[in-house]
Amino acid sequence: MFDELSLNLLDIGMNSLAAGASVLRIVVIESHRRDWLILQVRDNGCGMDDATLQRILAENSSTKANRKKSIGLGLALLRQTSEMCGGTFHVRSTPGKGTTVTASMRLTHIDRPPLGDLTATIETLAASPTVDVQLHYRNDNQTFHFHSQEAKHHEPSRTPKTKRKSAEASRAA
Amino acid sequence: MNLAELQKLKEKAQKQVALREGNKKYRVVVSMGTSGIAAGARDVMKTMLDEIEKRGLADVEVRVTGEIGLEDVEPVIRVERADGEQTTYARLDAEKARKIVAEHLAHDTPVENLAVGKEKKP
Ligand SMILES: Nc1ncnc2c1ncn2[C@@H]1O[C@H](COP(=O)(O)OP(=O)(O)OP(=O)(O)O)[C@@H](O)[C@H]1O
Ligand SMILES: [Mg+2]
Repeated sequence: MFDELSLNLLDIGMNSLAAGASVLRIVVIESHRRDWLILQVRDNGCGMDDATLQRILAENSSTKANRKKSIGLGLALLRQTSEMCGGTFHVRSTPGKGTTVTASMRLTHIDRPPLGDLTATIETLAASPTVDVQLHYRNDNQTFHFHSQEAKHHEPSRTPKTKRKSAEASRAA
Repeated sequence: MNLAELQKLKEKAQKQVALREGNKKYRVVVSMGTSGIAAGARDVMKTMLDEIEKRGLADVEVRVTGEIGLEDVEPVIRVERADGEQTTYARLDAEKARKIVAEHLAHDTPVENLAVGKEKKP
């Protein structure tokens, strides 16, 4: 159904927004050395109790009342892709605290969809002004972090650190 | 994954924040449930954000929402004007999204042949 894993991430992230999260963190770890791709979506939304979670994972059900097809699809889709690509799929959730969805896959598995446009996924989720959307990306050589709330509170005329240091230095002198 | 592409996120986020303050004349709500995403809603969203930024339309904000009950005609957006007028557009793609920005959002002229519904909320 999705030809990019970043679309799965968007879909799972939309569940977090629906759960009223104020922090939504997406972690992507791409390790060629270990041949793993790990995707995680963690939120501090309303969470689910154990019974609800078990039911949802067992029957792919949705708590959306007005759904025509009364099955949830988002979690089931990502689980299917993970398992097809030699990986695992876990959901941990605590009512009132939040939810963490973790999926892994073999990076080199022939059926693994590409990550695709992760930037567009983050931009789309970050359009919600009340949510701090965070991306932590890592591969074998590099890391990248993005926090949407940082962008929101960024002041262009911040005193650079070096300036402050030299001010201290001149005071000390 | 191309890190240079991710770096652009930071610049873009800054610009979009600058466009975000205050009460807006238009709010665009993009349906971003599973069926919307599968039909191309992210592409529509991205095109709108880019186009709004390019034109410097400071009086428009864009939001996402879950399913809005039009699963069969996704991607769907609703354009809400501050005076209560709401226009729903369906079966969109990037090109149609650009047209909606150019005509409806930039020049107050709804794109009649793409609209599937229009109502006035008090
Ligand atoms: N992050 C979350 N926090 C709280 N509840 C969640 C979260 N993710 C999923 N759920 C619960 O699990 C259900 C199933 O989620 P899933 O994404 O599979 O389907 P859906 O969102 O209901 O429908 P669809 O994704 O097909 O539009 C949701 O209806 C919701 O009740
Ligand atoms: Mg969902």
